[in-house]
Amino acid sequence: MMCGHAKELIAASWTGELDAAQETMLKQHLAGCEDCAAEMTQLSAMWDRLADLPAPEPSHALAVRWESTLESMVASGKLASGKLAVHGSGKRNSWKFSLASLWPERPVWQVSIAVACLAVGLIVGAGFRTGGKADKSEIAALREEVANTKEMVALSLMRQESASERLRGVDYSVRMPTMEPEVLSALLQAVSHDPNVNVRLAAIDALTKASGNPQVRQSMTQALGQQDSPMVQAALIDYLVDARDRGAVGTLRQLAGRPDLNPAVRQRADRAMQQLTEYK
Amino acid sequence: MVAVARGNLASMSELYQRRHRNLFRFFFRLTGKQAASEDLVHEVFLRMIRYRHTYQTGDGFEPWMYRIARNAFADQVKKHRLETQSDDHEFESIDSGRPTAFDNLLKQQELALLHRALRELPEDKRELIILSRFQGLTYEQIGQIVGCETGTVKVRVFRAMKEMGGIYRDLAKERAS
Repeated sequence: MMCGHAKELIAASWTGELDAAQETMLKQHLAGCEDCAAEMTQLSAMWDRLADLPAPEPSHALAVRWESTLESMVASGKLASGKLAVHGSGKRNSWKFSLASLWPERPVWQVSIAVACLAVGLIVGAGFRTGGKADKSEIAALREEVANTKEMVALSLMRQESASERLRGVDYSVRMPTMEPEVLSALLQAVSHDPNVNVRLAAIDALTKASGNPQVRQSMTQALGQQDSPMVQAALIDYLVDARDRGAVGTLRQLAGRPDLNPAVRQRADRAMQQLTEYK
Repeated sequence: MVAVARGNLASMSELYQRRHRNLFRFFFRLTGKQAASEDLVHEVFLRMIRYRHTYQTGDGFEPWMYRIARNAFADQVKKHRLETQSDDHEFESIDSGRPTAFDNLLKQQELALLHRALRELPEDKRELIILSRFQGLTYEQIGQIVGCETGTVKVRVFRAMKEMGGIYRDLAKERAS
């Protein structure tokens, strides 16, 4: 056997695709060919070692994205619910092709259809102007669906292991017109427990929109008492001052009394207490 | 896939559950980029729906899926000039403050070297090793995917492994000096 054929058999041995006869042939060749034997030993060890390389994992957001794509395809009619649009096998019979085949070849029919389409368009257009309530409700439903998808994506991203993904989730939540209770809860959870300072700071910023909510302010006050990062403490103090939350004065006092507190934060807390007590 | 081709949407979700992780790994090992790999997985499943009528049971599902995957990857490279050549930042760092199992394993020096050697292989050779070693495809299936004889695939995989071995030795010497 030539060395070229031996290389094929060596490669086949790595994937377990050698039959008994080929195995014998390879052994015989390796016994008489030092170069091939050395390559077999060295490369087979490397092949085995490749199995130890870690297997990367996709983020959960990918699955969420796919599910929402499928749903939107169903909603837009590209896919029938539960069933895909019917396709014959092996033929180019897409819906475009089918419509094209319906188009008449004679110009007189083509002009007639064009005029008919124009007339239908004018009638439907007039209908839009007078009674568009049904369409408005459809648009509202679509908007709601988009908002729900955004919410789902934001929540999913905020649960990711990667801090950059969680930051994206917070960013998504900011872009939503209204914050649903689940999103608020996830953001408050991030402020209190996220291990990454940047995510906590971004979540505080995101919650600015909800500073009118007393429960949110109360949770932010509680979070202030739990924080160790001076940057996060300062951001929370500013948040509570901007929200004019006088209920936070007690927590600010406790914070200012902590011996290990950063001097700049203590100064900020003192100023905040003064500002909040001045508010009526 | 037969059920999907016949129009069963529920089977598409099932197909996604079974295959998306494997496809993601294929792309991630090719590109080294998480977001780009996820975009490609998404694109492949969309194309599977779009081109489901081209699926023929006799050819097997894997070669069909990977042919779509390779085309999607080639289109992406053309469109966005996706950089797949190795560099010092070949795998995106995950800025979470909590290293993942993937990061921890790569910190083992020998594995990191092996990983770098794989990344430094030319793309066509790296792809052959990925398909045969990580994606669990037979040489016959790979032949169907890349369009060549089974025997040719075996020789090419052998040569790719040999070239990777050379790169690995060079990197090890570089590290030792």
